[in-house]
Amino acid sequence: MTKTNSYLKWAGWFVLCAVLQSTLIPHAAVFSIKPDLIMLVLFHLVIKYGVMPGVYVGFFIGVAHDLFSPSLLGQNALSMSVMGYICGHFNERILRLDPILKALLLIAAFVINDTIIMLVHITKTEGTISTLFIELLVVTLPRALYTLIFAAIPFIWVNVVRPPRLVD
Amino acid sequence: MRWIIDLIIRRRRFFSLLLTTVLSILMITAQPGTQLTVTRYLTMTVFYPIYATISQVTGFTNVYSENKRLRQELVEASTQLQIIREQSTENTRLRGLLGFAENMLHTLIPVKVVARDPSHQGRSVVVSGGRTQGIEMYMPLVGEYGAVGKIVQVAQNTSLAQLLRDPSDRTSVMISRSRAVGILQTENGRDFFVRLRNHEDALPGDTVLTSGLGGIYPKGLNVGVVENVDGRTNPLFKRAYIEFAVNFDRLEELFVMHLPPQWSAQRSELDSIKFER
Repeated sequence: MTKTNSYLKWAGWFVLCAVLQSTLIPHAAVFSIKPDLIMLVLFHLVIKYGVMPGVYVGFFIGVAHDLFSPSLLGQNALSMSVMGYICGHFNERILRLDPILKALLLIAAFVINDTIIMLVHITKTEGTISTLFIELLVVTLPRALYTLIFAAIPFIWVNVVRPPRLVD
Repeated sequence: MRWIIDLIIRRRRFFSLLLTTVLSILMITAQPGTQLTVTRYLTMTVFYPIYATISQVTGFTNVYSENKRLRQELVEASTQLQIIREQSTENTRLRGLLGFAENMLHTLIPVKVVARDPSHQGRSVVVSGGRTQGIEMYMPLVGEYGAVGKIVQVAQNTSLAQLLRDPSDRTSVMISRSRAVGILQTENGRDFFVRLRNHEDALPGDTVLTSGLGGIYPKGLNVGVVENVDGRTNPLFKRAYIEFAVNFDRLEELFVMHLPPQWSAQRSELDSIKFER
């Protein structure tokens, strides 16, 4: 696959996820907790390509998120680029990640992202640090676990429902 | 000089993070006015094609239900139109008897929402009308159920509208029954309330209208209905929590109100107002 095709493929994934996030995903909310498909695609990109694309794509997606949400401009850009930088060190070009490790890394990505967002929020609003822990426990972890279920669907489909046939 | 370039290349991952972090912090710490300028610029340039595409695709998912709803509303509207025509004739006759001058109605410019905030707390929409269609800054945007927002940036054929539910928006509204005037506010971006003095009268079920005092919206546009009233948190003020009449997640065909000259006369003062994010 050429570089251009690869860029288009990833751009397509992001647009598709943004569409799903604003159409179907709100119907799948459980106690106002929704899976974050955009974060999921960003995570896949980061563990596939590493730090540099992770930082810049994270920044771009973060700015896009900031523009159309009530958060501070730059808040998501910062959190997603830092998340891209940290998770990018565990990319598949360096490490062989098994599904359990990937799942843990995805949860860590959510925690990193939301921690930075909350820290910026606390700094700007002079809030208390205790809200950070409550937010992580009540919102971030359930969101990460719910996203993990979505991420597991293609994995289960390929490995359990339709396992690849062995060729003699 | 060369060693700096070598260092940057050698440590490019770190410097990439440093660059994005500095840019992010600059955006976070920027003045609200600068942030808004950057937001508007990016919304209408770099990110416009992305959100226009998303908006178009999401629009298709609602076609069937929208069609059904519009058909029903058409029947209701035609019935109401007949009644209004009758009342208009009667009104003209009575005004003539009382010697009142006929009120001029605002001209409505039809527009379509071409891009909107995909998050559940949308603050703005891009509409399909601009300078060419005669749209100007601060013109009110209305829908079939009432006030939607105001135009805050105008391009040749598109405009950016700030919605009423933008947390930075401050709209002067009044309770229809008691005529109590207050400011529409929110603290968390989800629950909107009208801040009223404690002695003012507001009850659940009361209709909330624009007061006409803000200089942007004309008086009497429907805003929503009071859901509950909280007067315990502050000894001086009470909060009348409202439910918006307009469903901001389903905005499609809207109208920009072309303001008559008495509103346009305040344009120079309005232009000096800085809208905060």
